[in-house]
Amino acid sequence: MPGTSAANIENRPQRVLPKILFLPFALAFLLLLFTGNALAEEEALIYKNARDRMVRTQIKSRGISDPATLRAMESVPRHLFVPETSVPDAYDDRPLPIGYGQTISQPYIVAYMTEIVQPKPQQRILEIGTGSGYQAAILAETGVSVYTIEIIPELAKNASERLRRLGYGRVQVKSGDGYFGWEKHAPYDAIVVTAAAEYIPPPLLVQLKDGGRMVIPVGSPFFVQTLMLVEKHGKETGTRSLMPVRFVPFRRAE
Amino acid sequence: MNQTSAAALNRLHLSVALLSIAIIAFQLVLIHVLSITQWHYFAYMVISVALLGFGAAGTLIALARGWFLERSSFLLPLLMFGSAAAMATVVGITQAVFGGFDSLLLFVDPSQVWRLLLANLLFSTPFFLGALAIGLIFVQHVDQIGTFYFANLLGSGLGGIVAIIILGLLSPQQLPAVTAVFSLAAGFLILPNRRLRWLIPAAFLACALTAFNIVRPVYLSISEYKDLQRTLNLPDAGIVAQRNSPYGLVQVVSAPALRHAPGISLTYSREIPVREAVFSNGNWFGAISEWSAANTEHLLDYTTGALPYAMATPNDVLVLRAGTGMDVSHALTRGARRIVAVEPHSTVLDLLDEQYSKTMGGLFRHPAVTVVPLEPRTYLATDSSHYDLIILPMVGVFGGTAGLFALQEQNTFTREALSEMWRHLTPDGILCASAWLDYPARNPLRLAATMVETLAEAGIDNPAAHLAAVRSWGTITFCVKRSPFTPVEIRNVREFCRQMLFDPVLLPDLKPGEREHYNLLEDRSIFTYMDQILSPARQELYKTYDFRLQPATDNRPFFSQFLRWQSLPHLIRLFGERAVPFIEMGYFIVIITFFQTAAAALVLIILPLFRLGWRSGNRLWTLMYFSGLGVGFMLVEIVLIHCFVLYLGHPVYAAAAVICAMLIFSGIGSYTSSCMPIHEATPYRAAGLVALMLLLYAFLLPPILQHTITFSMGWKIIFTMVLLALPSFAMGFPFPLGLQLLARRSEADVPWAWGINGCLSVLSTALATIIAVEAGFAAVFLLASAAYVIAALAEFWT
Repeated sequence: MPGTSAANIENRPQRVLPKILFLPFALAFLLLLFTGNALAEEEALIYKNARDRMVRTQIKSRGISDPATLRAMESVPRHLFVPETSVPDAYDDRPLPIGYGQTISQPYIVAYMTEIVQPKPQQRILEIGTGSGYQAAILAETGVSVYTIEIIPELAKNASERLRRLGYGRVQVKSGDGYFGWEKHAPYDAIVVTAAAEYIPPPLLVQLKDGGRMVIPVGSPFFVQTLMLVEKHGKETGTRSLMPVRFVPFRRAE
Repeated sequence: MNQTSAAALNRLHLSVALLSIAIIAFQLVLIHVLSITQWHYFAYMVISVALLGFGAAGTLIALARGWFLERSSFLLPLLMFGSAAAMATVVGITQAVFGGFDSLLLFVDPSQVWRLLLANLLFSTPFFLGALAIGLIFVQHVDQIGTFYFANLLGSGLGGIVAIIILGLLSPQQLPAVTAVFSLAAGFLILPNRRLRWLIPAAFLACALTAFNIVRPVYLSISEYKDLQRTLNLPDAGIVAQRNSPYGLVQVVSAPALRHAPGISLTYSREIPVREAVFSNGNWFGAISEWSAANTEHLLDYTTGALPYAMATPNDVLVLRAGTGMDVSHALTRGARRIVAVEPHSTVLDLLDEQYSKTMGGLFRHPAVTVVPLEPRTYLATDSSHYDLIILPMVGVFGGTAGLFALQEQNTFTREALSEMWRHLTPDGILCASAWLDYPARNPLRLAATMVETLAEAGIDNPAAHLAAVRSWGTITFCVKRSPFTPVEIRNVREFCRQMLFDPVLLPDLKPGEREHYNLLEDRSIFTYMDQILSPARQELYKTYDFRLQPATDNRPFFSQFLRWQSLPHLIRLFGERAVPFIEMGYFIVIITFFQTAAAALVLIILPLFRLGWRSGNRLWTLMYFSGLGVGFMLVEIVLIHCFVLYLGHPVYAAAAVICAMLIFSGIGSYTSSCMPIHEATPYRAAGLVALMLLLYAFLLPPILQHTITFSMGWKIIFTMVLLALPSFAMGFPFPLGLQLLARRSEADVPWAWGINGCLSVLSTALATIIAVEAGFAAVFLLASAAYVIAALAEFWT
């Protein structure tokens, strides 16, 4: 080492003691690191199993069969998109509150909406209502480019950071009024409206490609009753009301 | 007590009255505050449980009567100061609970249950302390119970008036502390001459807390799922106007992203305008329309609600529950020459007139528009004109309300209401009603059923010739025409549907496949059910459908209540147990309230028996007599409020008139009873007389009200007072007479009896709602009479 003097070299034995004292701490640190990693791996495995179970019991069993959708639902760590207090319930068959009067949808609804819009790699999909960013991450996993708009600035900021941290760089998040859509990236192959309004904004219909699909859940925050699919065919736009329950159609009690 | 001077007794009576004012006013204020921060039915649940404080007070006095009586001169003012301090602070303290609590999450997040229990406990504190003071006075002066009960009832009646006055004057967060002032005054009135060393600091503390909470009230934390809070979450949103009123807190919100276009057609290509919106108690009330006489087109032209205008150009239009006037401006734009807008929420009308008249283009001051601030049914009963078009308010909201308003009385949508409207139509007049589509179908089917039953009652053999309905992606509009639809009108309906991408659902000559040209349904069963409703087989559908579809009636005016308990297992299988409460949360909450209060009441009633003994005395007699009185009095109060809403035309005034008149006249009855000699049989005879009177009222009151509803308001108020005075006066007798009789037999049982009465009164509020839903208000009236019969029959168990 340049500048090391003989005097310094002579002093070396005197520093051995502190180093010995330091050794147990270093070992403890390594042990902690090792067990910490092992715990993290174990935790990841637990969540992976929960996810697999969720796909098997809540999604496949209700008729979702699109391979890309199922793969996405198996991959995206839903527990990282819910508030800390809801992590134990992240893979339950229900929506969960995320603050600001918003919810992260029931896993089945997310899967159903994804399957309905038939995402294909290289397509562009606009999402209105980013919320936690979970639906956007699922769509991104299918290989599409996702543009998502959230009107509540705090939710937009959190979702943007979360998506970036989890590696969903293809998802572009904008904080703003979803009414106007995102003209810059239009037209879109599909539009997913996660926060339904009592009207369908005309600019969204304009930004939807001819032959494109728009899906909107209809219901209260904790009970989606139907999904509305809007299909654009030239000047004539039609709607289709779909039932997000496996026992459809609704029948009278026997 | 013989040594107590007359002046001290008078002060004590006044103190009871003041404390009663405070308790009743606080109760009403708390309902108001919780209705704003949460929902009405949640407020109802909290209050019901909190009122058990009365029962708990009775139980505690029964358990430690001697201890309390020995210290009464010191304890009474202390309890009143304590009650005042609790009234002033409890809302602020529970903000810590409610800050993270949401009644909508009750069925989602198990931790909410503990927060709810804590909230219930906190809210019951002021009632418990106040009731303890009143109960102690009753026990101490049971020989003069007639006059003290009079003071209690008179104060309670005045408390209702005080609440209504302050609701209109002060902001909601100040109200609880203002009611505490009456409790403070009650305490100061009876300050003893000794042991002031403890009482003065307590009084000072209570005064300081009250003053602080009036001057610096806490911020009310509103549920994040309420319409108002969701709107305020929009960027740059803010409250731009606010009015306090007994109808509710009215607020106007402005936000650059706030738009309103209910179920607008997919063909609408222009920008949906930004509107300011009105909220009442945090719930959506309506958007403020910017109307101009120069407009030739209206936003509602692009909704299914434009169906009647596609068929004709009506001259005389009646808009019921006109809200912020969107349907009124639509009618004007479509060329109507005379429009009557009926809207009972006079605070909103005043606000719109004073602050938004210019924005609305002077809509409500237009020469063609007459605004009537009355309940629609009351207006219809007093009006003799005929209309080309009658428009009902839209049913439901987009996506549903999770059934939070399931038990709201909707007198505008009953079979009797539609028949009344039918009589107000010109020979070619149209009655029009729209609903948001729901799944499983409920609102549209009940609306169709109500219209078909109205036609049947009017003697129309072929309802299909008089009924048209069109459907968009989200809404459905029904039109009933007094004469059969003409071929030209039918052609116009089809053209309207083609232009707007709507589908006809009901038309006299509907062709197969026409119902789903633009808007497809995966589950088409709604069409089958619609057809069944039009056929004589509809009774079969009513019986077998998972939800109640029979039209609402004046006896059961719950249009939005659909849940049938026997269908619950099927619905759980279908939607899952977690989702089912969101189908009809309002009713679920009432059921939970009932069981919660029943369990608590049972404990509170049984507990004193461990001290008083199970067998000694006349336990069964006491239980029967005072349970009967508690149930009977409360049921009568609830059913009379229902009866007088239509009669007086204002729900708030009806509630105020009934509560105040009943309590004050009962108080007079109680006072009169104190001048009577008491024999063993007197209390039972009094209860029997009340039962008989109520039985007569159950049958006579509805026709009397119906025949006098057209009278002027002055006469109606006189009638109301006379009609309420008779049974109320009689109802003032049994309780004090019974207590006096009990005191003769076993004075130690007096607080237990008082507690039973309190517990059962609270339980009856939930019970009344359940019976009204399941069997109708007439059954509630009969049950009230039966409760007094039970009290009268208690004689045989002595």
